[in-house]
Amino acid sequence: MNRFRILLQNIKRGVVTEKYPLEPIRVPESFRGKPVIDVDKCVGCGACVNACPPNALTLEEDLNEGIRYIKLFIGRCIYCGRCEEVCPFDAIHLTKEFELATTSKDDLYQIVGLRMYKCPICGKPYTTIRLVKKVIDKLPPEERSLVLICPDCREKITAANRSFARR
Amino acid sequence: MSSLYRKSLWVFHLNTGSCNGCDIEVLNAFTPAQDAERFGVKLVGSPRHADAIALTGPITREALPRVIRALQAVPEPKIVVAIGSCACGGGIWHDSYSVLGGVEKLYEILEKKGIKRPITVFVPGCPPKPEAILYGILLARGMVKQKQKGRIYVESESAELMISKDLIESVKEQVMSSKISRKQVEKITSIVR
Amino acid sequence: MQQFSDSKIGDLLKKLGVFGTTSIVTPNTILINNVDDKLYDLCRLLIEELDAYYSTSIGVDERPLNGSFAVYHVFVADKLGLYILVRLEASPSHPIVKSITPIIPGADWAEREVMDMIGVKFAGHPRPYRLILPYDWPSNIYPLRKDFDYNDKYPIKDKIDKVIHGSTEYVVDKEVLEEEYTAVPIGPYHPALHEPEYFEVYVDGEKIVDARYKGFFIHRGIEKIAETRLTYDQVPFIAERICGICGFTHSTAYCLAVENAAGINVPERANYIRSILLEIERIHSHLLWMGVAFHLLGYDTGFMIMWRIREKIMDLAEELTGNRKTYGANIVGGIRKRFDISEEKIPYIKRLLNSVKEEYLKYIDKIVSMTEIRKRTREVGILTHEDAKKYSVLGPHARASGINTDVRKYRPYAAYSEVDFKVPVRDEGDVYARIIVRHEEVLESISIISQLLDNLPKTPLRAEFDFIPEKRIGIGCTEAPRGEDLHFVITGYGNKVYRWRPRAPSYNNLASVPLMLRGEKLADAPIIIASIDPCFSCTDHVVVIDIKTGRRRKLVSR
Repeated sequence: MNRFRILLQNIKRGVVTEKYPLEPIRVPESFRGKPVIDVDKCVGCGACVNACPPNALTLEEDLNEGIRYIKLFIGRCIYCGRCEEVCPFDAIHLTKEFELATTSKDDLYQIVGLRMYKCPICGKPYTTIRLVKKVIDKLPPEERSLVLICPDCREKITAANRSFARR
Repeated sequence: MSSLYRKSLWVFHLNTGSCNGCDIEVLNAFTPAQDAERFGVKLVGSPRHADAIALTGPITREALPRVIRALQAVPEPKIVVAIGSCACGGGIWHDSYSVLGGVEKLYEILEKKGIKRPITVFVPGCPPKPEAILYGILLARGMVKQKQKGRIYVESESAELMISKDLIESVKEQVMSSKISRKQVEKITSIVR
Repeated sequence: MQQFSDSKIGDLLKKLGVFGTTSIVTPNTILINNVDDKLYDLCRLLIEELDAYYSTSIGVDERPLNGSFAVYHVFVADKLGLYILVRLEASPSHPIVKSITPIIPGADWAEREVMDMIGVKFAGHPRPYRLILPYDWPSNIYPLRKDFDYNDKYPIKDKIDKVIHGSTEYVVDKEVLEEEYTAVPIGPYHPALHEPEYFEVYVDGEKIVDARYKGFFIHRGIEKIAETRLTYDQVPFIAERICGICGFTHSTAYCLAVENAAGINVPERANYIRSILLEIERIHSHLLWMGVAFHLLGYDTGFMIMWRIREKIMDLAEELTGNRKTYGANIVGGIRKRFDISEEKIPYIKRLLNSVKEEYLKYIDKIVSMTEIRKRTREVGILTHEDAKKYSVLGPHARASGINTDVRKYRPYAAYSEVDFKVPVRDEGDVYARIIVRHEEVLESISIISQLLDNLPKTPLRAEFDFIPEKRIGIGCTEAPRGEDLHFVITGYGNKVYRWRPRAPSYNNLASVPLMLRGEKLADAPIIIASIDPCFSCTDHVVVIDIKTGRRRKLVSR
């Protein structure tokens, strides 16, 4: 007899199926979907690359052209949100998109390329132009010049100062 | 692709070493709330009856020979739906020594054995929602349009470093007071303009 | 964690000090060194007098620290709330220690795993065969030693499409195989099972005579990756992906172990939120299991009904954490900021839980009292009380055989000391008792969440601490939906863990499956295997695979 009671209860309950994909479904505000890099705010510092557990964010540099690439591969992303927490410039956000199926792997990459700044003494690119601009704005005037020289040359100048001062 | 599967798509579910999150979501797509059977999609018990394979998990070395046998048993033409971040790119263990690292590495092995590379649909997520898996299977059938596109942005060449004159003066002063050679001073002040 | 009065600890240390040198590593862990010959007497004292049970064994390569290998046996004194570690040392030139399997059968698998991964041999072990590594692994390469690189990729040989059937490395009892028996393999890819594993069941007509299990198809190298590539704060994410159903308990247990080792006090609000998310996970896991059990009994309507009721719980988890399954809320010291529960959500959560409880109660009594379900589950797959104790089974499996054990009650963690709940225990030990135990746990969980939501305190979400000290031992234990989940951590240098060992409850529970299968009919085999709620991905967490090349070749892959 129990199985008929269950049947009647089911009939009374009615249809529970969602009408997806014919109608969109609602996701909550706190949903963790696809991460998107804001190309105007990103400066290429690489804090997100350090924090990403599965190495979905990687940093590559093309030293001949002088471009630094931040590559985001959402095929390997685990949607944890650590990159959003550690970015100092608020440039990467998790959106609410979840319909991410593709037929080719190239569609799963987002690449941001930023021009690099060359050291005036030795000519080697060592950081991005945007990062240098942001740092210069925050430093007092007497310390700004040191940022404009690459770390190796800075070492040499400091060593030269010391040996000169000792004389 | 869409002309081959206008009516229905039979799916065989293959777990190659995943944590079961994606597998439970695949089963969830067949329960009353999402109901994939409306579209003629059904889970079958043998790879020989299947049109498509729902593959989850980064392929582990112990499971590899059995995965190859199961793939060889599916008749042509076949579709592989790679579900989850482990199958698409290896996931959080993409470089571990007991894991192959996703379907792309599996295809390299299959090519050496002379098996043609099957049509692949990637469904990223950890785990993807059942609605996202349904979207991926319907994309294979040609019922929905693809929304995700790759994006490349490269900063244009004209973005130059503008530095104000008094900054150049202060750099000059500092460099002069640090007593390095005159040639190097001229080089710096001429470039930082 | 319970603090003890000085006199109690003093007596205990004096009693144990007869067998070796004792020391207190954390307020609830005692370490005993230099045991040597008195090992068996010590084990008997712990099991009979202190009423402790054996939990697991861990092998550690301590050559960079003090030049030797070490094996830790973990005993849990449930009623006292203490962990007792027995440490055996082995020198690198002669790595042999005494085995405890002859007196404790539950140590069989753990010792074989240490043999495979670290290379320490156990003298006196009755079946010293490979457990995790494949049959053709070269005999002198051990993955968890510190001189093995985590991403050594070995080339794949051409013979990979030859599948070796049969568990050739197991020695089958001779008296079992005297007559003609047929072997029926179930797995690795069988429609009744959701994960790849391989059970070999020997039958005589319809009756099962013996069973063997070969699993560990899901090795991925979690322990090795956590020691080399990840920092303290990244390990909770990989711990959550050990298992897709009970992931949050693993990451909580890891955080508890590190906080235990470093002496960090987690703020109250973080404890309450952790408990709420853990109970949500327990409800969804039990409803999932009931659906799968009814499906295996042939009642598909019950499967669909249970999973339809479960959808509301998944919606709740998505509302609170942003994802249906892998919550990602834990971090060492507390909870991440975006997972706070605001005041407006509390009425919504209570309404949803009430509607789930109503609908669940409307159906479950009718389903469980149907004739087919009763006849197929009563008196089937019985595990007696003595066998359950001998094999140290855990969780609802043990509670259905009369053992009263629950980590939340006797060794409370997070916010469980602030709530009131019952622990359901039954005596029969058959599949029906396991269904009823899980049914009662679902109702208890709903009441626990309501109590926690009424008293949510207002404190910060994460503890402030400077750094985590090195070379400390910590143990974290939680009650997963399947039993007791124990994580053992030794903190290390450079913001990384030195050794991490997650031991999932299915590890101990799977050893009792051959006992339950003997004498039953073949058609009952799937429901008996499924009634322990096996989570094979929790069990196969350590990677081990290699192809015999005769010599080691390194191939660094990108």
